[in-house]
Amino acid sequence: MTIKVNRVKEYEALLDIYEREGLDTSLFGDRVAAIIISGSKIIGLNNVPGVEIKGEEIENGVRADVRIADGVELPFPIHLCTGYLKSEGYQRVEFSIEVGTNSKVKFTSHCIFPYAKDFTHEAASKITVGENSSVLYDDEHVHGEGVRMISRTEVEVGKGGRYTGRFSLTKHRARELKLEMTAKLADRAVAEMTSKVKAVKDDSVEIKEALLLEGAHSRGDLKSTVIAFDESQVNVVNEAYGLGDYAKGHVECHEIVKGEADVQTVPLLRVRNDKAELTHEASIGRINEAQLVQLMAKGLTEEEAAELIMKGLLGE
Amino acid sequence: MFLFPTVGFGQFCPENLKTYSYENFLIKMLCLRNVGYSKDGRTILRSINMTFREGMSYSILGPNGAGKSTIARILMGELTPTEGQVLLDGKEVTGLGVTERTRRGISMTWQEPARYEGIRVREYLTLGGKLKIGEDEIRDVLELIGLSYEFYAGRFIDKSLSGGERKRIELASLLLLRPRYAILDEPDSGLDITAGELIEKLLARFRKTGTTVILITHHEEIAEKTDFAYFVCAGRLVKKGFSREVVDYYRKTCGRCLFVEGSP
Repeated sequence: MTIKVNRVKEYEALLDIYEREGLDTSLFGDRVAAIIISGSKIIGLNNVPGVEIKGEEIENGVRADVRIADGVELPFPIHLCTGYLKSEGYQRVEFSIEVGTNSKVKFTSHCIFPYAKDFTHEAASKITVGENSSVLYDDEHVHGEGVRMISRTEVEVGKGGRYTGRFSLTKHRARELKLEMTAKLADRAVAEMTSKVKAVKDDSVEIKEALLLEGAHSRGDLKSTVIAFDESQVNVVNEAYGLGDYAKGHVECHEIVKGEADVQTVPLLRVRNDKAELTHEASIGRINEAQLVQLMAKGLTEEEAAELIMKGLLGE
Repeated sequence: MFLFPTVGFGQFCPENLKTYSYENFLIKMLCLRNVGYSKDGRTILRSINMTFREGMSYSILGPNGAGKSTIARILMGELTPTEGQVLLDGKEVTGLGVTERTRRGISMTWQEPARYEGIRVREYLTLGGKLKIGEDEIRDVLELIGLSYEFYAGRFIDKSLSGGERKRIELASLLLLRPRYAILDEPDSGLDITAGELIEKLLARFRKTGTTVILITHHEEIAEKTDFAYFVCAGRLVKKGFSREVVDYYRKTCGRCLFVEGSP
C-alpha cells in the first residue's frame, strides 16, 4: 500500500476506527487492492495484478476509476474506503468501476464518518459488469449523528453476468439518507440488491431501487428491509420493469414500525413483454405477533424477542 | 397402603392446594378450572376443567375447530380466559403472560412454527435455556428429532426450511428448554410418515426428564400414545380418562359431539 507521507496520521486514525467498529483491518494489507480516501485526498492506494485503480482529487472529493481485467478471480476483496474525519463539511466521491469478462470479484466499500455532526456525503457510482462476470458489492457505513448522505449507483450487467449489491446502515444513525440504485440487465444476467436500514429519532430515509430487466431470461431480486423507530420518516420505492423475453423479477419491501414513525412503501411493477414475469411482496407493520409469542415461549421478554427479530431482519 | 385421591381429571383442583400439604405431589400440577373463552360474541370454550399432573402425558383430542388450540394458548398465557382460572402448583397464574409462564416451567410448540430471518438453528436452540447448552447436546437432540446436525445447525430458520423441518426444530428447541410442562400443538402436522415414531421418541424423552406432556391432536393414533386423554368438542369437555378409553369413545362417535351447540 502506498500511503501519502503527510497523511499517515489520518490513515492510522481510520485503522483505529476499523478496529473499534469491528471491521476487517486486514483490508489495509498489501495483497488487497484498495483506495483509501480521507476528505478530498487519496491517502492510500494499492493495485494488485488484474486490478488497476486510478484516483484523482477533485473539488471537495475524489474521482476513482477501477478497472478489472478479463478472467480475473481475486482471493481478496477490493477495498474502497471513504473516510471523513471532521465534524462538518461536504464530500463528493465518484467511482467508475469496469469489470472485464469472465471475472469474479468482490468489493468491500466502507464509508467512515464517525464524528460527523453537519456533514454531507455525495456518492455517484457506475458499475459495469462484463459478460459472464460476477461482482459482489458490500457497502457498509459508520456514521456519526449528523450525516446527510446521497448515493446514486448505476449498474449494467452484461450477458450472463451477475451483480449482488448489499447496502447496510443498521448500527449507526441514518439521519438523512437518499439511496438510489438502478440495475440494467442484459440477456441471462442476474442482479440481486439488498438494502437494510435502521431509522431512529427524526431520521429521514428515502430508498429508490429499480431493476431494468432488458435481456431475455434476465433475472432480478430487489429487497429492502427498514426498521423505523421514533419519529423517523421512511419512503421506499422499488421498481421492476419486465422488458426482455422470459425476464423474471421480484421486489420485496419489509418495514417494521415502532413508535410514531411514518413509513411508506411503493412496489412498482411494469411489464412491456407478455413473456416477462414480475412479482412483489410488501409489508409494513409491527413485529409479527406469532414470532414474538413463540420467542417469548423460550423465556424471552417481549422487548428481548423484538430486538432479536429486528437484529435477524437487519442481519446484525 | 396409602391411597392418593384421584386428581387426574380436573374435578379436583382446589384454589390453594397447600391445604393438602400431606401430599406434596398434589401441588405439582397445572389446572384449568371452569375456563371459558369468548371472542367477538362467540363462545369458543365453556366450563373446561382439566388437570395435568407432573410427569404424566396427556392428549387433548377433538375434531377441527373444537377449541383444542385455544386451550393450549390459554395454558401458555397467550390468551386470557374470559371465565375461570388457570392454576399452576395451586397458585393462580391466569393473568400471567407467556414469558412469565415460561419462566415458571411451561412452554409450547405451535401448530405453525414461525420463521425468522437472520436467526440460525444453533442460536435458536440455545435461546432462553437456563444452562449453557453444548454442541453435543444440540447434535443429540437434532438427531433424535431426525435432523442432521451438520446440515441444519448453521442454517437460517427462514423460508429455506420446509414446514416439517421447522416443526422438528421447534420440537428440538422444546427438548433443550427442559420445561416442566410441554404443550405440543398438533406436533405431527406437516411431518412425514415418520411422525408417529417421532412422537413416541419425544414422549419417551420427556418421560425420562419428568416433563408433563400436553399433546393437542385430532389423530386418535397419536392420542393413544399418551397416558391420559381429554376429548373436546364444540368448546366443551366431552370425555376424560385413560387415553385408550377416550380414544375408543372418540372412534365410536367418529369424533362427533353428542350434544348440540347451545344445549344446557
